[in-house]
Amino acid sequence: MRKYKKTIIGSSLLLFLLLLSIFYPYFGPKDYNHQVLLKNEQGDILGRAPFPPSGNHWLGTNRNGEDMHWLLLYGAKFTLITAFGVALLRVLFGGIFGVFLSLWAPFLKSYVKDFFLPFRYIPSILIGFILMLPIVGGFSDASISSIVFYQIFILVFIGFPSVTLFASDVTDELLKTSFVQSSYLMGASKFHIARKQLMPYFRSYGILFTVQQIISTLHITMQLGLFGMFLGGRNRAGVFGYDDPPPKPATLSNEWAGLIGQNFSEFTLAPWSILSPVVGFFVVIVIVNMIKKELEDNLHGFVVGKKRNEDSVVKSNSYVNRGLFEFVHKL
Amino acid sequence: MKRLSRLIIRIGLVLSGFLFVFNVPFFWGIEKDSVKVNFIAFWEHVKSDFLVLINIKDERYLEFFKELDILVSYQYTMTILLVSLIMVMVLAMVFAVLIMLAPLKVRSRLKSMVNFFEGVPDLLVIFLFMFFVITLYKTTGLKFLQLYGLFGKKPYFVPIMTVSFLPLFLLLQFLIKTITDEQGQPYILYLKAKGIGRIRIILVHIMRNIFPLIILQLRTIVWVLLSNIYLAEFIFNINGFNQQFLKIIFMGEDFASLTVCLLMLTLPLLMIETVGWLISKLIKGKEEVSI
Repeated sequence: MRKYKKTIIGSSLLLFLLLLSIFYPYFGPKDYNHQVLLKNEQGDILGRAPFPPSGNHWLGTNRNGEDMHWLLLYGAKFTLITAFGVALLRVLFGGIFGVFLSLWAPFLKSYVKDFFLPFRYIPSILIGFILMLPIVGGFSDASISSIVFYQIFILVFIGFPSVTLFASDVTDELLKTSFVQSSYLMGASKFHIARKQLMPYFRSYGILFTVQQIISTLHITMQLGLFGMFLGGRNRAGVFGYDDPPPKPATLSNEWAGLIGQNFSEFTLAPWSILSPVVGFFVVIVIVNMIKKELEDNLHGFVVGKKRNEDSVVKSNSYVNRGLFEFVHKL
Repeated sequence: MKRLSRLIIRIGLVLSGFLFVFNVPFFWGIEKDSVKVNFIAFWEHVKSDFLVLINIKDERYLEFFKELDILVSYQYTMTILLVSLIMVMVLAMVFAVLIMLAPLKVRSRLKSMVNFFEGVPDLLVIFLFMFFVITLYKTTGLKFLQLYGLFGKKPYFVPIMTVSFLPLFLLLQFLIKTITDEQGQPYILYLKAKGIGRIRIILVHIMRNIFPLIILQLRTIVWVLLSNIYLAEFIFNINGFNQQFLKIIFMGEDFASLTVCLLMLTLPLLMIETVGWLISKLIKGKEEVSI
C-alpha cells in the first residue's frame, strides 16, 4: 500500500470535495448568500456587487452578489463527476475498440487511423466547439437530460480516437512479448490471450489512461466553458443587470467551467470571479497529476514505448551473452 | 498500382472521416424530452456537405471565404506562431543547458519546478497574464502593454508571451529528460575520459545527437501553441485567424470555407511533420550506409 500513498491521499481529497459538494443542500445557504447592495444601518447604499474577496466573501462575489466559494462548492460535483465519467467512458469504449483492433483486425488499424485523421491536426477545442454549437450554442428548449446526454457523447467522442489508437499500440507491443508468443504456440485462442495474458496489463493501463483522460477532460470542459458551452445548457437571464434582450447566458448548474464562461465578460471589474474557478480547476488538475505521476512510476517496471534505448541495450546484450539462454523480447 | 489504389482509399477515408466528424451533431435528433438516433438526417447532411465541397464551379463557392480578411489575419496568427516557436526553442535550449550545468542539488529543485508547470492549465496562465497587465495599468497608469485587439489593433507582445509560456516548459521538460538519458551513453563517458568540458559535451555532442528528437517533439509544441493561440485570440478579442472561424461558424455556415480555413490552420503542423519525416529519413539512410 505504501506504493500508492499519493494516490490514496489525492483520491480521498477529491472524494471529500465531491461529498461536500453533494451534501451542499444540507448545510450551505440556498441562495449562495445573495446580496446585491451593501447598506449601512441608515439604509444608505455603500456598494454593490461584485464585491472583492474579504472576510465576508472569501473569494469575492460575482455580479449577482453570490458568494464564489459557495458557488464553487455547489458546482464541484458536476465538474468532478463529468470529468470522471467521461474519462471512464472514453477508456472503456476506446480501450475495447483498440484491443479488438489489434487482436482481431490488425489490417484495419491504418484505416482507422486515416479515418480519425482530423483529430490529429485540428485542436480539440476547435472540434469540440464546432460539435457542441448546434445543441448548446443557443438557448434550447430541449430537456436538460438530453442536452447533458449530447454533451457527454461529444466529450467522449473527442477523446475516443486517441484512446483507441493508444490502447491498440500498447496491445501490439504486448503481443510481441515472449510469454504471449509462447502462449500462441501452445495453441491459445485470441480470447484466451486477451483474458489471461493481457488482462493484468489492461487493468493497470486502464487506470492510468483513465487518470490521463480525467486531466484532458478537465482541460476541454474548462475551455468549452469559456466559449459559453456550459454543461447542462444555458440559463436565460441568469445574470443580474442584463435583462434586456438578448439575454446573457448563464450556467444552469454552476459547474466550474460554466462559472468561467458566465463571468468572463467581467474580467476587468471582478477578476476574482474568473480566477477562482480557474484556480479550482488548477488544484484538481494538480491532484490528479500527482496521482498520474505515481501510477506511471509504479508502472515503470513494465512500461512500453521507450524503444530507442532498449533496442540498443538488447543488441549489445545479445552480442555479449551469445550462447546463454535469454528471452529476446523481454519487456 | 497497388500503392495508387491504397492512396485513393486513404484519401477517401480521410475525407469521409472529416465529413463524419463534423456532422456528428446531426446524428442525434434532440427533441423536447427525448434523444433519437437520426441516421437519415445525418446522411443527408454528409451528402450535402460533400456536394458543397465538390461543387467547385459554383459561383458561390467559397464566397464567404473571400469576404473575410483572411490574408491579413492569417499572416498575423502565423507571425505569432513563428515568433513564439522560435522563442520557445531558443529559451528552452538555453535553460536546458543552464539547468544541466547547475550543481546537482539546484538541478533537482529546478527539475521539479519545471515538472510542476506540466499541470498548469493554459487558461490560468492567460488569465494571470491578463490580470497582471490590468493591475499594472491600474496602479501605474502606464499603458505600455497592449492587451486587447480592439479597433483593429493587433498586439504582439502579450499574446506571444502568454502563448509561449507553457510550451516553453513542455519543451524544457523534454530536453532535460533526453539530455539526462543521453548522458548515460558510453560515448559521453569516453568524451569525459578524454577531458572534454561539460559545456562542450552538451552543446556540441549531445545536442547533435538529440537534434532529430527535438524536431519530432516540435510537432507537439506547435500543436499546443496553435490551441493556445486560439484561446488567446478569443480572450483578448484579437481579430486573428481564429476569429475568422467564429465568423464562418456563426454567420456563413459555409462548409467549404470552413474546410479551407481548417486546412490553412493545419499547414504549420504539416510542415513540421514533413521536416521531421525528411530528417528521420536522412538519418536512417546514413545508418544504413554505416552498417
